[in-house]
Amino acid sequence: MNMTDIENRLHSIASEMEYPPTPDIAEVVVTRLPKFPSHFGRGERGEGHPRLFSRKLAWSLTIMLVLASSLMLIPPARAAIIEFIQIGIVRIFPQPTESTAGIPVTEEPEIFTPPTAAPVAELPSLIPLLDKIAGETKLANTQETAPYPILLPTYPADLGLPDHVYVQDVEGMMTVLVWVDPQQPEGVTMSLHFIPTGHWAINKMGPTVLQETEVNGQRAIWAEGPYPLFMRNGNVEFVRLIEGHVLIWGDGNLTYRLETDLSLEEAVKTAESLAPIR
Amino acid sequence: MDESTLIRRSVNGDTAAWESLVRLHQQAVFRFAYLILGDPDDAEDVAQESFLRAWKYLERFDAARPFRPWLLSITSNLASNWRRSAGRYISALTRAFRYEPTPDSIEEKSAKAMQANELWEAVKRMKKADQQVVYLRYFLDLSVAETADVLQIAEGTVKSRMSRALRKLQNIIREDFPALIEGREI
Repeated sequence: MNMTDIENRLHSIASEMEYPPTPDIAEVVVTRLPKFPSHFGRGERGEGHPRLFSRKLAWSLTIMLVLASSLMLIPPARAAIIEFIQIGIVRIFPQPTESTAGIPVTEEPEIFTPPTAAPVAELPSLIPLLDKIAGETKLANTQETAPYPILLPTYPADLGLPDHVYVQDVEGMMTVLVWVDPQQPEGVTMSLHFIPTGHWAINKMGPTVLQETEVNGQRAIWAEGPYPLFMRNGNVEFVRLIEGHVLIWGDGNLTYRLETDLSLEEAVKTAESLAPIR
Repeated sequence: MDESTLIRRSVNGDTAAWESLVRLHQQAVFRFAYLILGDPDDAEDVAQESFLRAWKYLERFDAARPFRPWLLSITSNLASNWRRSAGRYISALTRAFRYEPTPDSIEEKSAKAMQANELWEAVKRMKKADQQVVYLRYFLDLSVAETADVLQIAEGTVKSRMSRALRKLQNIIREDFPALIEGREI
């Protein structure tokens, strides 16, 4: 069999490959295009003058789209101004119907993407995905990679060392420590994120319970899910669902995010027990 | 409207023209990403990013050259870096949102499709650079010139890499995927 025969045979086999259905990528891509207007006006015309009309049009369309999205998501009375609470790089948009009395909120026009998630009840667990997460490393190596001290909870006393450690470069090194349930190795009991200040913004939409608290005297927020979470860095947006409860607090250029099924009091104790790796 | 007109309009900010271009090429881009990554969700993410990146840098595209290889070269770079990127991490966390059980079990696939799947498994055992040549030439049916454009290497290099890759692939198939031979030598 010569090379041509081999190639023909490979062509023949490969042509029978069954691929997953191609999703409608065009639709999603087009909705994200206004974020990249950088080349408008420098096309074939070549006059060197910015095409302000196109840029204005793009922005107008963006604003209209955002307003329309916002109006679909929130009651009309709150459509003009969206309130949020910010801790570090995390912004929390409380549910309009839930009371957040006592929590000072910032008022600022904000752009966000409407959730596209399936109903909560249909969501499978995130747990089997642990082995797919990139950047897994050993705890001992983490401190060498991250430009900030890696702290471990010393409470609860029997917590032990994290079972999984991930370090990811997200325009800054983000570290995630994960503890699994020793009785059910596929069940996560706690995760702790160390998120550096960068271009990332994390938005939480409408947690069912939202409470202000303190960690080491610093303002902190306790949120109970489930609720959608948006992470974005300008041109990339991702959505995930938070099923557990989350305690968020900031310290300098670092935002901590403790995800757990513990109570608020226990979570604060855990947060305040953070200590350098021995 | 032909492709060059769509590209010209897109460069001037015509999003409708860009949408048409995306529709023309989304299947090839998605499939290429899928072959490299082996995961439809990752492939979708990378395909989206490929088109967004292409839009952003459309001015740099040489209109005298074919468009699809340029797009696929972006996909190749993005997919190659995907596993070690932040996007991969967050996308994995996101997976639960879009999870749908795959209706087709392996048993339900046709014999030919299973054979193609076995070939894919065999190709995955090769070096990344060799994998991409095989995907582009045999799975996506690109010419040598187009493959060279995607991989940004000379056509002669594609041929020599192809030849080397095929020898390796033959060995892998003989050792681990004999069913692919089916009485015919590969």
